[in-house]
Amino acid sequence: MTVAPPERAARSSLSRYWHSLWLLAKRDLRVRYSTSALGYFWSILDPLVMAGIYWFVFTQVFKRDVGEDPYIVFLLSALLPWTWFTGAVSDTTRAFIREAKLVRSTKIPRTIWVVSLVLSKGIEFVASLPVLAFFVIISGAPVNPNLGLFALGILIQGVLTVGVGLIVAPLVVFFRDLERAVKLALRFLFYASPIIYGVTNLPEQLHFWAAFNPLSGIFSIYRSAFFPEQLDWFMVAVSAGMSIVILCVGLLVFKRSIRSVLKEI
Amino acid sequence: MSHSELATAQTALDDAAVISVADAGIRYRRNRRARRNFKDLFSSRARRTRPGEFWALRGVSFDVRQGEAIGVVGRNGQGKSTLLKLVAEVMLPDEGQVRVHGGVAPLIEITGGFVPELTVRDNVYLTAGLHGMKRSEVDARFDEIIDFAEIGDFLDTPYKHLSSGMKVRIAFSVISRLEEPIMLVDEVLAVGDKGFREKCYRRIEELLAGGRTLFFVSHNESDLRRFCTRGLYLNQGELVLDAPIDEVLDRYNADYAEV
Repeated sequence: MTVAPPERAARSSLSRYWHSLWLLAKRDLRVRYSTSALGYFWSILDPLVMAGIYWFVFTQVFKRDVGEDPYIVFLLSALLPWTWFTGAVSDTTRAFIREAKLVRSTKIPRTIWVVSLVLSKGIEFVASLPVLAFFVIISGAPVNPNLGLFALGILIQGVLTVGVGLIVAPLVVFFRDLERAVKLALRFLFYASPIIYGVTNLPEQLHFWAAFNPLSGIFSIYRSAFFPEQLDWFMVAVSAGMSIVILCVGLLVFKRSIRSVLKEI
Repeated sequence: MSHSELATAQTALDDAAVISVADAGIRYRRNRRARRNFKDLFSSRARRTRPGEFWALRGVSFDVRQGEAIGVVGRNGQGKSTLLKLVAEVMLPDEGQVRVHGGVAPLIEITGGFVPELTVRDNVYLTAGLHGMKRSEVDARFDEIIDFAEIGDFLDTPYKHLSSGMKVRIAFSVISRLEEPIMLVDEVLAVGDKGFREKCYRRIEELLAGGRTLFFVSHNESDLRRFCTRGLYLNQGELVLDAPIDEVLDRYNADYAEV
């Protein structure tokens, strides 16, 4: 004779995925904000200080002929999303190492360890947008309907960041040096991306190649809300295509290496 | 549905394996510092063994039906915990297949999911949630979980401030309330004071009586005899004997006596 254990309502794997994703993102935010007195302000302080430095250097010290006016709005509209990208990518280098115990004892789809980091940094990004709004209002920058494209920018950037994370996270487990290499690459990418300047400030022959940095198209979307001439649909299309390719490569790398990752951690 | 049809359906359900392991194998590198290249990392799972690698488990096959209590026996380093991890699906086999039908409550590294900075309350919701419980389900069991762990006064204390005994107690309490049909237990019961250990044992017996399937790894002979009906004897990564637990333990003791 056997007694059947009580059946629990079956949940679809998709709803479980979202549930776990949400729990982990919420946990990350809660830990970050419950352990520091300034909490939320740290997430906006970093881009603000950076913006302050660049604003001072390029408008007060040097005669600036890059970007657009008001420069602070021009800067922040790329610097805030950059903070999301760089924060999420550097977090994913430690995704498996930091969560080793949980990964070893919990059976949840393993892409969640990467996606939840991108999500929690993404939530911080959205939460930092009032800062941009504040500077738009006090500098009186005109806002145009391209503001609605923000959602598209967030979507493409999310795809790109998850893709990069899926490549980086498993590889760092095997090649620890990669963690520092990624930091260096991110610093390089900061200057190689149109953040303190716009793509139009680059020499003519570089315009085409700049489009192959997926961040160019993404930042041009955000900026077009205040500077409509920054929007370049060719760049947007290339960056969307590149982001999807990177995501596919990421999924493939992740799938092929996860078996070894689980043994290693 | 007539009575006999119901009975047939029930039998079919009983006969279906809840855990089915077919020719499973997993290999590790012997030397962590061994040179590693990208080709290794992405190589397909069915390649030949290279020097410097060994099979922690190989050619292991067995089926577990619902309600069975399985004890895994073997000396240290013979693949017991690895087998448990394969069944928990937190490791993937390099060859063969491991199929698990139904949810699993893994009592493996039970404190792993707990976040030191968060309160006990938050941690209970987080850990239960990650193992697939809905918020409302946790709500319904919350008091039971806290009562069992006997830490009612520390609900809003950060987890890191608990004593190590309390940490294990709350962790066991959460995982053992997952209501999953399969339980995996890996020596966790070696910790905690005698009173609480006995409480954990009673909880496991309660779950077994409720028709749950148990997969138990231990060195403790009396625990194995107490809970398990069937034994798996692992030696050097191979399944040497799959028989009733008393037979398996006798064989193990006999082998061990010779050494």
